[in-house]
Amino acid sequence: MSTLSEQVLDEIRELPGKYPQHRSAVMPALDLAQEELGYLTPEAMSEVATALDLDPGYVEGVATFYTLFHLQPIGKHRFYICTNLTCSLRGSSEIVERVKGAIGVHEAGEVSKDGLFSYEEVECLGACEFAPMMRLDHEYHYDLTPDAITARVNERRAPLSRAAKASRSRTPSVSEGPPPLPSPRAGRAKASTSSPPPKKRAPRTKKVE
Amino acid sequence: MSELRGSFGQARHHLVTRWFGTRDLHRLEVYESKAGGYTALRKALLEMKPADITNEVKTSGLRGRGGAGFATGTKWGFINRDAPGPKYVVVNADESEPGTSKDRYIMENSPHLLLEGIMIAAYAVGANQAWVYIRGEYDGPHRMLVEAIVEARAKGYLGPKPMGVAYPLDIQLYRGHGAYICGEETALLESLEGKRAQPRSRPPFPAVKGAWARPTLLNNVETLSTVPWIINNGGAAYVKFGTEKSPGTRLMSVSGNVRKPGVYEVELGQTFRHVIMELAGGPPDGRELKVFWPGGSSAPVLPASMLDTRTDMEALAAVRSMGGSGGVIAMDDSHCVVKAAARLLRFYAHESCGKCTPCRVGGDWAVRTYDRILANEGSQVELGILERVADGLQNGRCLCGLGDSAGWVIDSTFRHFRNEYEDHALRHTCNVGAVAAHA
Repeated sequence: MSTLSEQVLDEIRELPGKYPQHRSAVMPALDLAQEELGYLTPEAMSEVATALDLDPGYVEGVATFYTLFHLQPIGKHRFYICTNLTCSLRGSSEIVERVKGAIGVHEAGEVSKDGLFSYEEVECLGACEFAPMMRLDHEYHYDLTPDAITARVNERRAPLSRAAKASRSRTPSVSEGPPPLPSPRAGRAKASTSSPPPKKRAPRTKKVE
Repeated sequence: MSELRGSFGQARHHLVTRWFGTRDLHRLEVYESKAGGYTALRKALLEMKPADITNEVKTSGLRGRGGAGFATGTKWGFINRDAPGPKYVVVNADESEPGTSKDRYIMENSPHLLLEGIMIAAYAVGANQAWVYIRGEYDGPHRMLVEAIVEARAKGYLGPKPMGVAYPLDIQLYRGHGAYICGEETALLESLEGKRAQPRSRPPFPAVKGAWARPTLLNNVETLSTVPWIINNGGAAYVKFGTEKSPGTRLMSVSGNVRKPGVYEVELGQTFRHVIMELAGGPPDGRELKVFWPGGSSAPVLPASMLDTRTDMEALAAVRSMGGSGGVIAMDDSHCVVKAAARLLRFYAHESCGKCTPCRVGGDWAVRTYDRILANEGSQVELGILERVADGLQNGRCLCGLGDSAGWVIDSTFRHFRNEYEDHALRHTCNVGAVAAHA
């Protein structure tokens, strides 16, 4: 009995065909494994290795190099808080403290008692004009305030319907958007809800010659 | 698309960001009908020979916008278009230089602009396939590119006969997994090949032996996104902007202690006073600018007294800094330079790939020394260690630029703010508040 489902293993076996050399499939394969299990166990890495005809030590070597592969259990929701220079100049330490308090953990990587949350301090996420910012699961959140953190945590603790109702009853602001829209373009819709819509469009009065 | 903070075609010199902010610009139909999209590709495929395209880029004087500033046309010329076997274009979308968000700005606003640039480059250098290596955290831009590629395939721009020309083109995406070092081109190639991202020794250069040991053109997102304008308007029109040796414009993401952080398209040769004080609104009320990083955290710092330094690469080199990634980080007088440097050294130590000794060991030495200084356990000894470590990291002692960058942070903050180091290490005091508390 394998750790990874047959379906995922089949998907992994299909991957090498997409690349000029089969080794390139290792990271996409680890992605699939991590998606299924939440984090990468030694068994899962071995199974990925077997499916790709690679050495298990090699696969583990790749997994340990990159910070987006998790080798320990993590929360269902992950806060990746940027604490690099720009964000720290704009208050990321307050954000980290509020996250720790709101989810009830003492340090990065620790999973909250209910298993719902964990957080990490990460390096620059490339959205510096919106600092302080973070990535929560697969979504960027901008112009963070400690209160916005509490709101994000509460939404994820409450049953979905309640969270949705609560957010409908108030006007979305810069730091508090409505919950994600369930659409194929959800990711983008989500990203846009954390900021107000573009205030103005460029006046198209002059053309570049 | 998230709120636009920065340029969106308000000024005559907004070449790349000309149509940003146009509703649904990310959709192919809008990109074509409203923004004149894909006319450059059409022109390149139907009216130009590959060598003419490369020459046009050479004429433009465009220089790489990723960090090193190498002449783009020259780089294209390194690829032997007639060599048998596959060749690749690899796009560096692993934007992770602290303070840099301009590639995200482009991909979120106008993904087709990047795709068009990629296709033109591929045709010029004789590649049929391109790979965009995009950092794993960029879920939004990744999704934008996926959708744009689907549209371009449906329209036939990607496929066996783009614009009716029998020159097959395809673009694939590859996601990074959180490693700053992947911004270094050979580390990126290692990663694309499914390995730990450790830089390669050069030669061979990627133009000869790059991705999967094939000739490979590596360009940054912004560099390629500038190409359609150059093809549409000609290289000669591009050199009318900017300075003689650094022609054109570049996107500068201005962040930190400024009132209007944003991604601004700036004509090269403008001063940092214009960029930081005018475009980005300067520091908040009651504060004064103390220091700025002119091109990402790796670019040696400049004190506020040097705000009149121009943004072109030559002007920056003359003051011992560089244009780097175009990420401008401004810090005001409420923050401590030593703490900021300590925070950055922690970053470089964490992101060192561990392959070469000076960087692997030097980063840790620096972090431990900063820790002692900030814990008021410093003395002349610690200052001496920092200077020696900074020297050991620079001047080609490391395999790639990461070590140099770490050394430059120490070196340049020392050069301009020795008094703050001495306050901390010798007098155990700090003249400013406790910001960058995570250092």
